[in-house]
Amino acid sequence: MKRTLVAVSAALLFASTAVVAKDKLTISVYSFAQDAYKKALYEPFEEICNCDLVIETGNSVERMAKIEANAANPVIDMAVISSHDALALSRKGLLQTLDTSKLSSFDDLYEAAKNPLGDNTAVGYTFYASSIVYRSDLVDIKSWADLLKPEVAGRVALPNITGTQGPLTLHMLSKALGHEGIEFSATIDAIGEKADDIVTFYSRSSELAQLMQQEEVIAAPVGRFAWSRFSGSDLPFKWAEPAEGQTGGMNVMLMTKGNGNEELAYKFMDYWLSAEVQTRVAMAKIDSPANMKVEVPEDIADSLTYGAELINSLNMISPADIIDNRDGWVEQWNNKVIK
Amino acid sequence: MVLPAAVFTAALFLLPVGILLSEGFKVGGEWTLAGYADFFSKPLNRTVFFRTLKLGLLVALVSAIVGYASAFCIVNLEPKQRGRIFGLVILPLMISPVARTYAWIVILGRTGIVNDAIVGLGLSDTPIRFLFTETAVFLGLLQLFMPLMIISLISSMENLPKDVIPAARVLGASWLQVFTRVILPLTREGLVLGGTLVFTGALTAYITPAILGGSKVLMLETLLYQKVNVSNDFVSAGIIATILIVMCFGANVVLRRIAKA
Repeated sequence: MKRTLVAVSAALLFASTAVVAKDKLTISVYSFAQDAYKKALYEPFEEICNCDLVIETGNSVERMAKIEANAANPVIDMAVISSHDALALSRKGLLQTLDTSKLSSFDDLYEAAKNPLGDNTAVGYTFYASSIVYRSDLVDIKSWADLLKPEVAGRVALPNITGTQGPLTLHMLSKALGHEGIEFSATIDAIGEKADDIVTFYSRSSELAQLMQQEEVIAAPVGRFAWSRFSGSDLPFKWAEPAEGQTGGMNVMLMTKGNGNEELAYKFMDYWLSAEVQTRVAMAKIDSPANMKVEVPEDIADSLTYGAELINSLNMISPADIIDNRDGWVEQWNNKVIK
Repeated sequence: MVLPAAVFTAALFLLPVGILLSEGFKVGGEWTLAGYADFFSKPLNRTVFFRTLKLGLLVALVSAIVGYASAFCIVNLEPKQRGRIFGLVILPLMISPVARTYAWIVILGRTGIVNDAIVGLGLSDTPIRFLFTETAVFLGLLQLFMPLMIISLISSMENLPKDVIPAARVLGASWLQVFTRVILPLTREGLVLGGTLVFTGALTAYITPAILGGSKVLMLETLLYQKVNVSNDFVSAGIIATILIVMCFGANVVLRRIAKA
């Protein structure tokens, strides 16, 4: 009798567990704005799919290392990352080719976001423009080359080559100095000669914002995603529209190879790319939309990289060019600039 | 009772660290020092190594000089006053190093108190750039670790027999002789302890060089961070970590030898 009672109790326990057990999707994301993402994306999706999202955050290197270390038995189902980091993962065979027919908003994406790596392993979900923020009462910036002019010597900061903004700045400075292509030696030499006139080579936009607020720096290249740190200030900051144009980049979403959770991962990606969610994320000023159908008011658009005209005009570097040349750029930078 | 703790430390700390650091001694599966030779063959790495060593030594030296003067004054105060001043020395240690370092960004900035004074006193027409220089890193590290030296020296000086200094003076010793022949030999244990704490602290501090020096004043610890978090290069990071560990142990051995001599 006792044994039967235990068996029945155990069966009931397992049955009840089975009833309440939810599907689980593990995603790897950047650690910024997680509270806002939770409200705009994670919680609404969990309600719709009746599933649990497991959110893993960290910097790109940590997150990529985790995906690589668990390649045989993926612990991450889906991830968002920069396009060049995604290409690095793709070249190692860690990503799954995407069936874009399962993404209902795919046709609504900007052309550049549809197949950014060229092998259908990722789709873009956000763009960012990069230009120069400057103090309009102290200096006028009309070209990327103005960052090296004597009038701003000792008051300029540049992004470090090891960050995302570093190669983008080199790209535009090269263009402004009359060099073609992505061979940046001459530009790195030019920066090296002026290294003493550059306040710092910053790593985080928050660091730059503080230096500009306390008037240590009056001009510096920065991503549009950080513009709100400056636009709300009492100081007269302006977003430059240099003669050579603006540069920029894209972050993408991807799926790890053989994760076994493809169906739910597609559902989540589709939801994130939908006009509804992309609008909500844009309205919260978290990410700029990659979905062409998103419409936001002018004051919101001002904080974003928004609209076909701007996105199509961005001077981007291809992910392959970044991956193939980054080590060389860092080596030259360390020898000529950091010394 | 010690055995479980020793096993725990060996299994969960020494073994993983040993495995991580051993990667720097292997090239293609063979044990070699080629990784270290390659590290020191690069001019940037050599510059960073000597800068780290120089700043560590400078911070320890200045801490010792200021520390002796401060400790001497503090131990000769009335007990009530001594307690108050000792509290002021300890107070910065209770504040986060991040907050203390960020304060220097404001103090040393173009519109900070230092530049206001320099321009106000007519010492310079324009503000001087202190941030992202070795001077800023030196000041940040000095402020961070000098209290450790002062505390160590106060502890040593409190054990100094009260009549040895008056005795030396009565016998005709100058203040310099009193310091070199009486105070220094009798407080050397405190100097060794304080010197080791300050030097190893200055050598391994990450936040202060990262915030006040950035990539323009790279030090071994900020270079190590770059190797791990930017390049994902754990072998080079292991080599840097080993160099830092050797420098820390080396400093302690050298200081002990100097104290014995």
